[in-house]
Amino acid sequence: MAGSRTQNWQSLGVLDSTTDHEFAIPVKRINDGDDVSFFLTSKAYKDIMTFLLQLNASMFPRKSKVEESQADLLQTWELGSPDIEFSSTVMKLGELMVKLSEFIEEAPPDTGPRRFGNVSFRKWYELVNSRTSALLDDYLPPKVLQRHSNSPDGVTAKEEIQAYLLGSFGSAQRLDYGTGHELSFLAFLGCIWKLGGFANAEPGVEERGIVLGIIEPYLQLVRRLILTYTLEPAGSHGVWGLDDHSFLPYIFGSAQLSPAISNVADIPTEGSLPSAPEPGDVAKVAAVERERGTNMYFSAIGFIYDVKKGPFWEHSPILFDVSGVKAGWAKINKGMLKMYNAEVLSKFPVVQHFPFGSLFLWEKDPTAVAAPSSVHTSSHPAKPTGQMNAAILRDPMQEGTRAPCPVGIKPIYKCIKTRSWWAACDDGAMGSATWFEPAIC
Amino acid sequence: MSDLDKAIAQLRACRPIPEAQVRELCYKARELLIEEGNVVGVDAPVTICGDIHGQFHDLMELFRVGGDVPDTNYLFMGDFVDRGFYSLESFLLLLCLKVRYPDRITLIRGNHESRQITTVYGFYDECLRKYGSANVWRYCCDVFDYLALGALVTGASTKLEATGAGFAESYPQNSMPADDLDIEIEILNSNGDIMNRFPRSQPQAPSTPKPEPSSSPILGTPARTGPAGTGASGSSSGSLSNDGGAVLCVHGGLSPLIDTVDKIRLLDRKQEVPHEGAMCDLLWSDPDEIDGWGLSPRGAGFLFGADIVKHFNHKNDISLIARAHQLVMEGFKEMFDSTIVTVWSAPNYCYRCGNVAAILELGEDGSNGGYVARSNGDAGRKAEREPRGAPGRRYRVFEAAPQDSRGMPAKKPVADYFL
Repeated sequence: MAGSRTQNWQSLGVLDSTTDHEFAIPVKRINDGDDVSFFLTSKAYKDIMTFLLQLNASMFPRKSKVEESQADLLQTWELGSPDIEFSSTVMKLGELMVKLSEFIEEAPPDTGPRRFGNVSFRKWYELVNSRTSALLDDYLPPKVLQRHSNSPDGVTAKEEIQAYLLGSFGSAQRLDYGTGHELSFLAFLGCIWKLGGFANAEPGVEERGIVLGIIEPYLQLVRRLILTYTLEPAGSHGVWGLDDHSFLPYIFGSAQLSPAISNVADIPTEGSLPSAPEPGDVAKVAAVERERGTNMYFSAIGFIYDVKKGPFWEHSPILFDVSGVKAGWAKINKGMLKMYNAEVLSKFPVVQHFPFGSLFLWEKDPTAVAAPSSVHTSSHPAKPTGQMNAAILRDPMQEGTRAPCPVGIKPIYKCIKTRSWWAACDDGAMGSATWFEPAIC
Repeated sequence: MSDLDKAIAQLRACRPIPEAQVRELCYKARELLIEEGNVVGVDAPVTICGDIHGQFHDLMELFRVGGDVPDTNYLFMGDFVDRGFYSLESFLLLLCLKVRYPDRITLIRGNHESRQITTVYGFYDECLRKYGSANVWRYCCDVFDYLALGALVTGASTKLEATGAGFAESYPQNSMPADDLDIEIEILNSNGDIMNRFPRSQPQAPSTPKPEPSSSPILGTPARTGPAGTGASGSSSGSLSNDGGAVLCVHGGLSPLIDTVDKIRLLDRKQEVPHEGAMCDLLWSDPDEIDGWGLSPRGAGFLFGADIVKHFNHKNDISLIARAHQLVMEGFKEMFDSTIVTVWSAPNYCYRCGNVAAILELGEDGSNGGYVARSNGDAGRKAEREPRGAPGRRYRVFEAAPQDSRGMPAKKPVADYFL
């Protein structure tokens, strides 16, 4: 197995219940590009990444030596597999997703004229909003919710975490849903983890429950919301984004298909599980139909097939490109994590809505290395406001003659001069005045 | 065949032209656009189009439905690029046509014709992918800075000339208006068959309800209540018959800083789209069912209500504002008693929205020997006038182009995250 990440099992710390803690209503802190740079060195960022990597590592198949046998015992973590242990918290939160889905019956889509998004989503959202407090009481253990701040009239844990839950289902105002909302749900689960709400099991066991028993039902709920209320893709890059709405299923789904590991220190950066479908299978309808019931990556791809009409390579070129990766699902998994870091956590339009409280802290992480300023953090969005500072308003054209390549944080594909598939079939034409013939059209 | 004609032929086949030729094209286009005012004067007849967003094959369908350049006179209201797979081919083709037939096609700027927006929403990535460098993106952005901010269509007829079109099967038989009625709005499908038509209300009887149109047979979408495109506005009575005023075309809408068309003419437009101010608003604002002005959820531009539109139109002797900028399921949507219309020309937007697209044809008023004396957007008329009757509007509605003819790419370059 070529190349392995040396990484010990790191998990998000759990708050010591015996020490004082001051909870806080989460507030937005990211107002400009510099704030994004700060965010990337914050404790909140570190906690988000720790939690994400922890969940990711748990989804790699496991192998263990069976005594008196030469062969390894191989264990995969498929959707719907009976081998996954769900703790009571996981089961309850999975049920909460079903419950929220049932609210759709109470807020049927409006049949009247509409421009695009269905206004009844606001009714659904209001139902959730008005019932959140009671729902949390029903679906989370009291020890999580009833922790109080040290000060007598301080904020409770419940008040802090419900902001993240409410931020997880799209914007009622804009009638859209995107990766920022997905991030809010990840943070909601991270809060519960920090509050000791999840079972203290063997490393990986509870995490698998979270991914398969909560996050997958969450994604099912979100897909149903998108279809029911025709939610617009929030800040969609159209064909030039990975997916109109989601990112996490591509991370966890590629981990599910990666080579089996004995322990998390061996997480591979290449290769695939021998029985895994080929990455190129995403372009084959039959293969997608076969795999979408067991794998999160294919489940997400299947949803794209459900909603998009047209050639896959054309409406989803980034996923099509990824399907050409030769080094296996572990390579794709690693790439997805890098891409999540760059395209979600480092993008102002996404993280500007993320609120910070006492659990996800807007404080500098002393161990963080300062990230160089990046166009990722400054490539500003469709939401110019009067508050933006110079970093955001910076014109990429004025940054020398170089294209506004995102630099810093991580190597980014934009910096690499890739010739496209059609350009590659006509050597020498690039940049010259000769006419070149692409392979298609 | 000139180089330009060759480039047009190549782009029509959805094949990009070489970088050096893009550079030359953009240079020529800039020389041409720099001569245009911020508000381009356009004579009817003209066909007005909304957002394209790189949906090249659908742009070809638009030309099939609306007629080819230069036979048809076109006005595109911006957002040529971003989100779609073929922003490059789409924009360069339109630009080639502009250079080749400058008087037959007008391009105005959308909020996506901007460096900052294109670096986020795909056009930058697309140029890099297709050329391996950002040069072409840079050439195109330089052209964006010279695109006009609006257009003023004059000489549009209040009467719709017959096209000799047949009636679509879905046409509501019991609501067929008598032939001698003055038809204000006509909706045609992509075969040129009449799906619906609405007579102009007589001033004496302004409340005659229009027959309920049904576009569902070709749309494949649930039937809606109001007239197609006018549905959500609840304004099914159209406008009063009168002399046709001018039609102002902008990508987004109005600005609280702009009360006359002349104030648009005074802006310094040759720059990146600012984050605020009049130029920003014209490209970003949306009409909404509110009174006065409101904050836009987009974070740029404003929301504006019926009162704002009616006052602006009256003050500037404008009968209709045509704008794009917002996806509408039925391709067009008239609001505020037909004083403003949204035209959307990207069918099945982003491969998934299930919407149809529309283009708006305005006919030529030949009744006065083609002489057009009124409605040039002048402000400050003292004399009290009746509101101008909107020009006759013929909407052609079309669906996404068939996709079976598109080949499969031979190679898959891998994004560097995955290298």
